[in-house]
Amino acid sequence: MNNCSFYNNRINKAAELIEKAKSDIFNGKINKINLVWLELTGCSGNIISLLNGNNPDFTYLITDMVNFIYNNSLLAAEGKFAIENLYNILKEDYVLAVEGAIATKNNGLYNIIGRIADKPLTALEAVKTFGEKAKHVIAVGACATHGGVSAARPNPSESVSVQSVLNRKVIKLPGCPCHPDWFMGTLAHILLYGEPELDNLDRPIMFYSTLLHDICPRRSYFDKGIFAEKLGDKTCMFKLGCRGPVTRVDCPLRQWNDYVNWPIKDDTPCIGCAQFGFPDAMEPFINYDTTRIINNE
Amino acid sequence: MPYAYTKDVLLNSLREKISFLNIFILKNNKLPQNRNIDIYVNAAPQDNTFTLEELAFYNGKNGNPAYVAVNGIVYDVTNNAAWAAATHFGLTAGRDLTSAFSSCHTGNASILNSLTAIGTLINE
Repeated sequence: MNNCSFYNNRINKAAELIEKAKSDIFNGKINKINLVWLELTGCSGNIISLLNGNNPDFTYLITDMVNFIYNNSLLAAEGKFAIENLYNILKEDYVLAVEGAIATKNNGLYNIIGRIADKPLTALEAVKTFGEKAKHVIAVGACATHGGVSAARPNPSESVSVQSVLNRKVIKLPGCPCHPDWFMGTLAHILLYGEPELDNLDRPIMFYSTLLHDICPRRSYFDKGIFAEKLGDKTCMFKLGCRGPVTRVDCPLRQWNDYVNWPIKDDTPCIGCAQFGFPDAMEPFINYDTTRIINNE
Repeated sequence: MPYAYTKDVLLNSLREKISFLNIFILKNNKLPQNRNIDIYVNAAPQDNTFTLEELAFYNGKNGNPAYVAVNGIVYDVTNNAAWAAATHFGLTAGRDLTSAFSSCHTGNASILNSLTAIGTLINE
């Protein structure tokens, strides 16, 4: 791959943290924490992304690091028993991960995630109940952090971000979806050292600080003004509408799906999925209607 | 903490401090000098003033440059990285974006220092 130690450090950050967390738990230095994962007004893309985690992988997470209390897509229990298990965790310490936005129209009736005491349990009620009491709340994915796709124009369900309905600090992990390393690295940091360093928008600095444009492998093309004219070109896609310059995240280093690829490497521009405002503020995702390319250079 | 993580924290706080310092510099700034723009065929009017109607032509589409106006000054954002496809967080070029700028970049007016000023906005 690469001999740069800084590069390797960044890639392995999540794995390092998880390994240390695992060994500390094994040696009895720290306890496994309880993790509740609520899928609300969203597409469940973030739990799918988490299952794609490689280094570390999902099995390590649920066997050696956390007691995974609840996730409606993955748990074995059903119906009443599942919801009862969920409500029992309120007596203990737990970390709450929320993916998906919160539909607020008609008092949240647009997103029902179960039944409690013979009444429908709305996403709105669930996040208020579990969010206030949690030790840490992590908003996973674009919809949870700022409304994302669920809140895109015209937003018929009146979906909002997790922070808008909670009166406490929420760690935000934007991304559509959130990369498994970003979530597991944050969780491991919480386990070992408590809440990670956050920037002024509550994103962990260890994953979200560098502008994608500043670590893009095609940056020299941008600096020299050598621009792609269509998808599939190997040069800078600024003229096609690449959102790399306004997105702070480490995709060029970490890449996706077992660290093999990412949009720009595959000759398609960045659409800014890990920046607040996605998708409405990042449109158009592709544009062929741009400024003239000067030919006499 | 692993070294790579410490560097991110330092860079982040440096960025915030530089941003903060820039505000003081901006307070002492005069109007930026107009730059040479003769590489574009459709050059700006000779007197370098724009009405809103003239400005609308420079929307970055169909080979036109992309200009935006903030606080009465017209800036060329054609090659500005944050204005890919002549759009920026849902805004289009060729318009007066004073209110959009102040509502989003409050306290960060130094961003304007890094832009290329090419004229002024006048009322018709």
